Amino acid sequence: MDGSSLLERYLERCDGQFKDDLSTSPQLFTPMSPYDVDLPIQTTEDVLFGSQFNQSKELPTDFSSVDLSFLPDITQDNKEQNLFEDGHEMQKELDGSTSNEDSSILTHESSLAYPDASQATEASGVCPPLTPMAPMTPVTPASESSGIVPQLQNIVSTVNLACKLDLKNIALRARNAEYNPKRFAAVIMRIREPRTTALIFSSGKMVCTGAKSEEQSRLAARKYARVVQKLGFPAKFLDFKIQNMVGSCDVRFPIRLEGLVLTHQQFSSYEPELFPGLIYRMVKPRIVLLIFVSGKVVLTGAKERSEIYEAFESIYPILKGFKKAS
Amino acid sequence: MAARGSCPGCGSAALVEDSHYAQQQLVCAACGCVLAEGLLTTTYAEEEHLREVAYSQSTGQKEQLSRCLQRGIRRVQDLCKVLQLPTVFEETAVSYVQRALQHPSFHLVSLEKKELLGGCCVFVTCRQHNWPLTMGTICSLLYAKQELFASVYLSLQKELGLSVPALSLADLVKTHLNSFRLFQHTADVPAPFVENKEKVVARTMQIVELASETWLVTGRHPIPIVTAAAFLSWQSLQPAARLACTLARFCKLAGVDLPPPAHLRLKELLEILLRMASQLAWLRVFNMDKKTVVKHIGDLLQHRIFLLKNAFCPEDEEEQRAAAPGEASPGSPGAAGGAAQGEGCPSGGKRRPLLPPCLINPRKRLRTAAPSASDSAVTGEEPISDSEIEQYLRGPEEIRAFRKAQAWL
Repeated sequence: MDGSSLLERYLERCDGQFKDDLSTSPQLFTPMSPYDVDLPIQTTEDVLFGSQFNQSKELPTDFSSVDLSFLPDITQDNKEQNLFEDGHEMQKELDGSTSNEDSSILTHESSLAYPDASQATEASGVCPPLTPMAPMTPVTPASESSGIVPQLQNIVSTVNLACKLDLKNIALRARNAEYNPKRFAAVIMRIREPRTTALIFSSGKMVCTGAKSEEQSRLAARKYARVVQKLGFPAKFLDFKIQNMVGSCDVRFPIRLEGLVLTHQQFSSYEPELFPGLIYRMVKPRIVLLIFVSGKVVLTGAKERSEIYEAFESIYPILKGFKKAS
Repeated sequence: MAARGSCPGCGSAALVEDSHYAQQQLVCAACGCVLAEGLLTTTYAEEEHLREVAYSQSTGQKEQLSRCLQRGIRRVQDLCKVLQLPTVFEETAVSYVQRALQHPSFHLVSLEKKELLGGCCVFVTCRQHNWPLTMGTICSLLYAKQELFASVYLSLQKELGLSVPALSLADLVKTHLNSFRLFQHTADVPAPFVENKEKVVARTMQIVELASETWLVTGRHPIPIVTAAAFLSWQSLQPAARLACTLARFCKLAGVDLPPPAHLRLKELLEILLRMASQLAWLRVFNMDKKTVVKHIGDLLQHRIFLLKNAFCPEDEEEQRAAAPGEASPGSPGAAGGAAQGEGCPSGGKRRPLLPPCLINPRKRLRTAAPSASDSAVTGEEPISDSEIEQYLRGPEEIRAFRKAQAWL
C-alpha cells in the first residue's frame, strides 16, 4: 500500500533510537503549547502524516482536509515567528472545520500519538531537526527535549569605514566619544539606542559590541558610521561582519562538574583553582561553553545564531545525564 | 696513546697523538698524514690557553641548547628535587618543556612567562600521574602571580593538547595534612592539641566526601575546604579541650596559611551538619548549635547516608512543585507525577532541597528581562534620523569651551 511504504521511508529517516523511548514515555506531547498542533507536520513529510491520519479511525477526518502547503521552508531566525503564526492559523482552521474546542483537539492529538505508537511502535509525529522553539527534538526522547532557548547577550561585529580618521578631532567634536592615546589607540564611542559601544580606529576600521541581536548590531554600526559622516569624514559601510555571538541560558538543575570532566575529558577543562566553571570546547559546532554548578550555561564563539542553538541542544542531554538524583 | 678511528689515507689504525711544536696533532704512524689538530684537548683551561677550538664548537652538551631551554630544564630539575618527585616525573616534565619551547606559539612569549613554563610542566606531569599538587604550591615555589600562572597553564594545555585529569580530593587531603604540625609534641603546641595523624586524616576525608555530596565542593577552591574539614575533624576528636580554639588559631598552631574562604566553608559545613543532626533521633532532644554539633560529628558521619536522605529533599522536587501549577496541559502524566512527588516531601520540618549554595542564596539578578517583541522587530536597515545623530555632536561653542578646559588640564 502506498501509505505504508511512505510511512516506512519516513520512519527510516527518523532515528531508530526513538523506537524504545516512545513506548516507554507516553508523555511525549506533555509540554504542549497552543501551536503544538502543527508541530508533527511541519516538514515536507506532511503527506505521510496525512496517510497516518487516515489510518486512525477514531479521528475526525478534518485533519486530512487541512491544507499544509502554507508552511514555508523557513530559516532558523524566522521559525519562532512563523510558528506562532502557523499555530494560530491551524487553530482557526480546525476550529472552523470542527465543532470541538481546543482542548478536545489536543486530546485528539495525543490520542493520535498513542494509536500510532501501538500500530507502528516507531517514531511517529516527530520530525527531523526542528528549531529549539519546538518542545521536541528528533533523535532524543521527549523527556530530554530542552524547551529552553539560549538568549543572546552580546554580539561583536566589525565594519570598515574605508577612510582615514583623525581620532583627536572626533574626540573633540563628538559628545559620546572618549580617547586616551596612552591607554588605547582608538576612540571609544557609545550610543544609547541600541545600547552599544564602538571602538573606532584611525585606519577606519570599527568594532561594535554590546548589541543583543544581529539586526541591532547592524543598526548600531550604521549609526556610528553616520556620526562619523556628520563629523565630516567620507565614511562608508563596507564588510559588515558578525565576529562573535554570546548567549546564555539556565538548565534549572545543578550539575556535577567533576563527573562531567571525567566522562568528557577530551572536551572539558575544569580547574576549580582557576575558575569555578567548566570550560567545554565543543567540536561541532565550534563553540566554547562555560558550564557552572548552578546550571547556568554561557555559549560563546559563534558566528551564527543557529550555532548557539545547536550547541545548546547538543549539550543539554549530556547535562541531563548529570542531573543528580540525590 | 691509542686514539679512535683509522687513517683516511692508508687505512691503518695506528693513530698517534703527537705534538708539532706546541700543537697537538693526530698523526697516522704508517703514512704520516695529519688527521686532526687540536682534537684531543679535554679541559677548558687547555683550550682557552691555546685557543685551538672555537668556543661555539666546544664539546659541552649545554651549549647546544638555547639559554631559555637550559633555564627551563634547570628549573624543572630544581622543582622536582624540592617536591621530592620520582625521577620519571622529571623526565616527563623535561620533555614537556622542550616541546613547549619549540612550539612556535611560545617563541615570542615574555621572559616572565617562559620562567613559569617549567613550573607548569611539572604541574601537568604531577596531575597526569595523580600526584596531588595544587597551583598554589607551585606559584609560591616560583614566586609567581596566580593569574600569570593560570594563563601560561591554559595556553600550554591548549597548544600541546595535553589532557590533564582532575585533582583528586582524597590525595589532596593526605598531602595537605602532611604539612600540618599538630601531630607531634613540640614546644609551642599545647598537649591537648596534639592528635593522631591517621585519625585526623580519616575523619577529614569523610567530611570532605560529605561536602562534595552536598555540593559544597563543586566550583570552589579545594584547599579552604580541606582546611575547614581538618579543623572540624580535629575539634571533634577531643571536643572538650578544643572547642574554644578558633580556626585562625588552629591554622597558626598547625603552621599553615589560613585561606580567606575557609571561614565560609566552615559555616556551610556546620549548617549541613546541623540539618543532619536534626534528623538523628537521640539528638533531637538537644538544642543543637554550631558549637555543640561538633561533639557529635562522629555519629553524624557514621549515619550520613541515612541522614542526608532525610534531611534534604531531592533537588528536582522543588522544581516540580513550582512547575506543576504552571503547566496547563490537561491529563498529562508528568504533572500528576510531579504533584504526587511533591506531597512525598514532608510538610513538617524545615527540609530544604540539596542544592549548591549559589542556588540556595541567589544574589539579586541585575540582568535585564528578555528582549521584548519590539526589539525583535529591528531589521537593521531602518532609516536613521538626523536629530538622533545630532544629539551626539558638539556645537561650536561647546567645542570652544571644551578646548579651553582641556588647555587647563
